[in-house]
Amino acid sequence: MSKFIDRPRYTCALGGALIALRALPRTIPIIHASSGCGFNVSNATTAGAGYLGGGYCGGTSASSTNVVEREIVFGGEERLAEQIQTTLEIIDGDLYVVITGCMVEMIGDDISVSTNKFAAAGVPVLPIPTPSFRGTSYEGYDMLLSGLFRLYTTKGRQHRKNRVNLWGLPPGQDIFYKGNLTEFRRLLGRIGLDAYTFFGEGEPLSNLQNAADASLNIILSDTYGLKSAEVFEEVHGTPWISVPLPIGASQTANFLRTVAQALKIPDAEVEQVIAEEDARYYDYMERLADIYNDADLQRYAVITGDANYAPSVARFVSDDLGWVPRLVVITDSLEPDDTESRATLLARFEGWESDIRPEVRFDTDASAVVKYLPEAWEPNHNERYYNSLTPLVLIGSVFERDLAIKLNAPLLTLSFPATNRVILNQAYAGYNGGLTFMADLFSALLVGR
Amino acid sequence: MRQVAIYGKGGIGKSTTTQNLTAGLIELGKQVMIVGCDPKGDSTRLLLNGLAQKTVLDTLRGVGENIPLDSILKVGYKGTRCVESGGPEPGVGCAGRGIITAIGLLERLGAYTEDLDYVFYDVLGDVVCGGFAMPIREGKAKEIYIVASGEMMALYAANNIAKGIQRYARKGGVRLGGIICNSRNVDRENELLRAFAKELSSQLIYDVPRHNIVQHAEIRRKTVIEYQPESSQAKEYRQLARAIDENTHFVIPTPMTQDRLEEILLEFGLLDNLEEYEI
Repeated sequence: MSKFIDRPRYTCALGGALIALRALPRTIPIIHASSGCGFNVSNATTAGAGYLGGGYCGGTSASSTNVVEREIVFGGEERLAEQIQTTLEIIDGDLYVVITGCMVEMIGDDISVSTNKFAAAGVPVLPIPTPSFRGTSYEGYDMLLSGLFRLYTTKGRQHRKNRVNLWGLPPGQDIFYKGNLTEFRRLLGRIGLDAYTFFGEGEPLSNLQNAADASLNIILSDTYGLKSAEVFEEVHGTPWISVPLPIGASQTANFLRTVAQALKIPDAEVEQVIAEEDARYYDYMERLADIYNDADLQRYAVITGDANYAPSVARFVSDDLGWVPRLVVITDSLEPDDTESRATLLARFEGWESDIRPEVRFDTDASAVVKYLPEAWEPNHNERYYNSLTPLVLIGSVFERDLAIKLNAPLLTLSFPATNRVILNQAYAGYNGGLTFMADLFSALLVGR
Repeated sequence: MRQVAIYGKGGIGKSTTTQNLTAGLIELGKQVMIVGCDPKGDSTRLLLNGLAQKTVLDTLRGVGENIPLDSILKVGYKGTRCVESGGPEPGVGCAGRGIITAIGLLERLGAYTEDLDYVFYDVLGDVVCGGFAMPIREGKAKEIYIVASGEMMALYAANNIAKGIQRYARKGGVRLGGIICNSRNVDRENELLRAFAKELSSQLIYDVPRHNIVQHAEIRRKTVIEYQPESSQAKEYRQLARAIDENTHFVIPTPMTQDRLEEILLEFGLLDNLEEYEI
């Protein structure tokens, strides 16, 4: 059924690919699309992702063919070749990737014809189609990774024990992607694994090139990056597992156990690491115990986020903080008939220690949250004694600000778009991320003190 | 000014029919412009006694939009105005968009003058996308003729084209003027096409017989009317021109289902004694 899109919480496939390229070191995007496509998606994401910025030769500096009617009628392959030529002359990079917009895909431009002309350029120029009629920025991330694994990652490498790759956090859509990846590299390092995440702190491009020596791919998501994991397995024969994004001590401990099990790492080693991480984590968390009890900081929560964050955040505030999440809106554009993804995500709300089961809805619309509130909490029908949904905290994106004002509830933004805060190296996942999230969440309650 | 689009299956003889028909209309004293809407650019060859030197899109690509009209509009047989939209190289770009661009440029350059009695759009093959429907959109061609024969695939294409016409007819004023049979001498062709046209709520406006002279004229880059004005085939084309000039039967077509189309073929398209043939 067609409907209006009310302020989408993502951009298009081209946007997802463009921002992922921005997150790779010295990788130069060449946009083959109508003029305006590149600017619009960069502009949305660089601000909406906690001020990610354009980076090295990205954002508004990005190279684009800006095709017009002439290229649509006669084909844009020559124009693209010209743009690749000039980009190679002007922009210094180690990897050049041509990504495409809808128009050139509709007329059937074969971008590999243009990139093949630069086979002798001395640097790789890769063609990766990213038509946005195939999906949102989440799919664009997957299309880009699939293309890179096929075309850039060296084939035929020996799988090395204790080498793993980890992805599933789309840069930009996950506003904490870099901090989170750093945390997971640290944690996997603690159980003896050398993890490449490609987009992480200080990771060279060679990590992407040498990715096929991993013995396992870990996809930190129930929905994103799965297609590229299948492509990786098809091309390089590497098995993969999909795990939910872990936030805080208990989820992260489970994550480490799952990975260890897949790689047959002895239990004792993993439990030792978990015990040490737990001790450090709860040492910090314990600081909050006094103010939590003195100021009675238990809260209801309404959570809005993508399929990575929404279930994990809800479980974290419930199981780890003792809060009561009442409504969770998962904002992915999952098709109504995508029952498999929906079932997987709904299962994440079962078996909680708190035994709480919030109302879960799938909706991308910014206005949807207020629509579902009455379904999650009985509205006031002028009763003399009304049990209201207070005190309440909203956890979501900046689109929830109006609702926060209306409900007089504090809002912590952690999902795209988040234009009201700056994100640098912060993580919200893993042990360290759980602590940062917790600190931000309680700071939001105490901001008036 | 009557703006007429000619559609039909690829290779059915749209260009040949359109140009001979044009020659017939010229003899009736009409002013005619032909706009070839085919990337191959061969819709006006017989009237120009050779291929047009430059198509609209070639010119647009090389020189740009600031061009005089006469650089793309050539005058052919007895004052016929001939334009070829042209298109991209085979296999690249978007020919449909090319036709939209070319027709847009023709309008801006003032090709549609008041003195014209007829503008013919000779459109390639099927209406594969919105671009090839351009001549019947936005109030351009108001009448359409489909060239067909008694062959299954020609009728299948014609029925498909009728679906396209129906779509635009509901929105605008475009109407189907009839089916032109370009005979392939298949069994009971005339009856079959009459039945087919009737099913579309239209008419078989003319049945052009098959004659080798058409081929001879084509090789000499001429219409039959120019090549052998006294031949029986020249007379046929003159009669086709008259039939179209006098046509008043314009309808919103009622395309049929595949099953119904096959029923009609079974009913009319087979000789009774086919099974008795011995090979």
